[in-house]
Amino acid sequence: MAAIAELSKETLATPKEERPYMIVMRRFVRHKLAVFGMIVIVLLVLLGLFASWIAPYPYDKQNLAPAYSNPSAAHWLGTDELGRDVLSRLLYAAQLSLFITFVVNIVSEVIGVVVGAISGYYGGWIDNTIQRFVEFMLTLPQLPLLLFFSAILRGITIPGLPDAWSNALIICFVLIVFGWMGATRLVRGMVLSLREQDFTQAAKALGMSDWQIIIRHMIPNSMAPVIVDFTLGLGGVIVLEAALSFLGLGINPPVPTWGNMLQNVQERMWQQPWLAFYPGICIFLVSLAFNYVGDAMRDALDPRLKR
Amino acid sequence: MTNYLIRRLVQMIVVVIVSSMAIYFLLWLAPGGPLDEINQGISDRKARFSEQDIQRVAEYLGLHRGPVWGFVAWIAGEDWMANVPQALWPRDRVTSEPVSLQRPICRDNPDKCGRGVLRLDFGISWQVARGSPVIKVIGDRLQNTLILMVAATVFSLLVAIPVGIYSAVHQYSRLDYAFTTFTFFGTAMPVFWFALLVIIAVSGNQSPWHQFLNLPYFPTGNVTTAKVLPGSIIDILNIKPSSLGDILVHAVLPTIVLSLLYMAGWGRFMRSSMLEVLRQDYVRTARAKGLIERVVIMKHALRNSLIPLVTIVVFQLPGIFGGAIITETVFNWKGMGFLYFQSLGTNDYPVAMALLFITSILVVVATLLGDFLYTMIDPRIRFS
Repeated sequence: MAAIAELSKETLATPKEERPYMIVMRRFVRHKLAVFGMIVIVLLVLLGLFASWIAPYPYDKQNLAPAYSNPSAAHWLGTDELGRDVLSRLLYAAQLSLFITFVVNIVSEVIGVVVGAISGYYGGWIDNTIQRFVEFMLTLPQLPLLLFFSAILRGITIPGLPDAWSNALIICFVLIVFGWMGATRLVRGMVLSLREQDFTQAAKALGMSDWQIIIRHMIPNSMAPVIVDFTLGLGGVIVLEAALSFLGLGINPPVPTWGNMLQNVQERMWQQPWLAFYPGICIFLVSLAFNYVGDAMRDALDPRLKR
Repeated sequence: MTNYLIRRLVQMIVVVIVSSMAIYFLLWLAPGGPLDEINQGISDRKARFSEQDIQRVAEYLGLHRGPVWGFVAWIAGEDWMANVPQALWPRDRVTSEPVSLQRPICRDNPDKCGRGVLRLDFGISWQVARGSPVIKVIGDRLQNTLILMVAATVFSLLVAIPVGIYSAVHQYSRLDYAFTTFTFFGTAMPVFWFALLVIIAVSGNQSPWHQFLNLPYFPTGNVTTAKVLPGSIIDILNIKPSSLGDILVHAVLPTIVLSLLYMAGWGRFMRSSMLEVLRQDYVRTARAKGLIERVVIMKHALRNSLIPLVTIVVFQLPGIFGGAIITETVFNWKGMGFLYFQSLGTNDYPVAMALLFITSILVVVATLLGDFLYTMIDPRIRFS
């Protein structure tokens, strides 16, 4: 009797369907380097967010007496040419660098998703025009034009914002202008195949408008490659922004970013090599972390791979 | 075919003209132009700039023409502009009298008039090489950039193609993993930081790691040697300063730095392209009919996997001319990329305009060339 009760309980209990995001999570966790990368990123975001509490000194506090001092108890990572604490500057720099990369990538992906969905769904001359324009943008040499736009736009200040933030928003704008094409192509490709599938026909037959279909069916179903593109893009923009700042066309000192902290190190980098080392290793590690996370995302979200 | 070519050619010309027009007007609209500093000088009593001074400088640079006539002069020259009716002339900012569209130097001496881009005159440099013709400035730098870029491109391709093929054929092997790690490092590494580290490492007894590494001093900047340091690599190899060998030795470090960047990207590209081809039916057929693996890879797979690489190599063409802006700047390599960076920093508009114009021509030519090569390699693709 007891055995029968046990048996019926087992048969009656429907096997628990694993939720899709749990599958993704489980696959993601298997990529050890990506998990480590995730930890690095979360840590840096927290350090950046709470920089004003954690940092031992303000980022612009000058003290010329211990300029170029070696790492010590008072200044864990030493000081720079104006006697500013390098550790504090690194922490504050995380703020702006991470802010820029997240804003740029989120906005470019959103633009890419909308434009790509419209292009793929409507097809015809709309698709043709958009795709020719995307191809044109992709052939443009990126770095020279980025430098060109940063150089001519840096005089503009947005009223009501501190200089550094309006500076950052302009850099964001320039990077977005050259950053939305990848997502557009991805989403268009997805939508092209999605709109031929039966559920789209069904949705049409049920009387959904084009916009409803795009928002309810096309965009959610093409999210997987967009998420991967977003994560991989985060690392790329960090490096790009650092390059602009390094060349003096990004964020201007005294507000630190990892790029502009490398700007003036060339004079003293033999005596104080850590001045060149720390900001660079930050850029490198974050970018590497984003790349690994993106790589793991691609594997985790790929429906062709079984569990 | 002829029809297609003509259509493409017209499109190309339109694209180049429209883009250079856009760049010209953007430069004009941008805050902080060449007159900005002296404009600020007016309010500053000590600087003692008068409106007449500004008018004189504007005329000297040809800026008094305004953006529309300025663009016409840039593209078609100013020698014929004396014939423009006076009603269209710009006004003097002090006296409001009409002023000739020509620059003063052109009014006095017709030989010194600008001839415009269509007659291959890119004007005079304002700042970077003050007073010398832009075309000469570019000519001086072109050789350095070509040496660097050709070396880096060839070197990276020679490494990237075999490595990409190997790691595709032996997917998930140990070497494939090593290579994947390398590409991750290569894409994540900021090129300027890598350059700085390389410079620190090889700068002889200056280097903080001198005791451990003990490398001889290697030229870390500039294109030629000014003074031979005893014990440096130039001294050891006994190379004459400013000979070709000298330039080549100086090119080694920037080439390595630049190659790392290209290698990572292109190797990855080659790997995925090869993987794609290896999955095709004709590769299976080749294997099924009993060909040995080497022939399958080298003859059937390799040639097809190289097709997508054509686009990359073709689009390297504008890059080879334009140089590597960041690498050249860090290594103080006097090439086109460095020139472009300098011209932007100093508001040297004629130089920046010329470089962007030539780049835009090369981009459209590269696009056409890429399409052509595609149809030649892959007969399934046709012009339409």
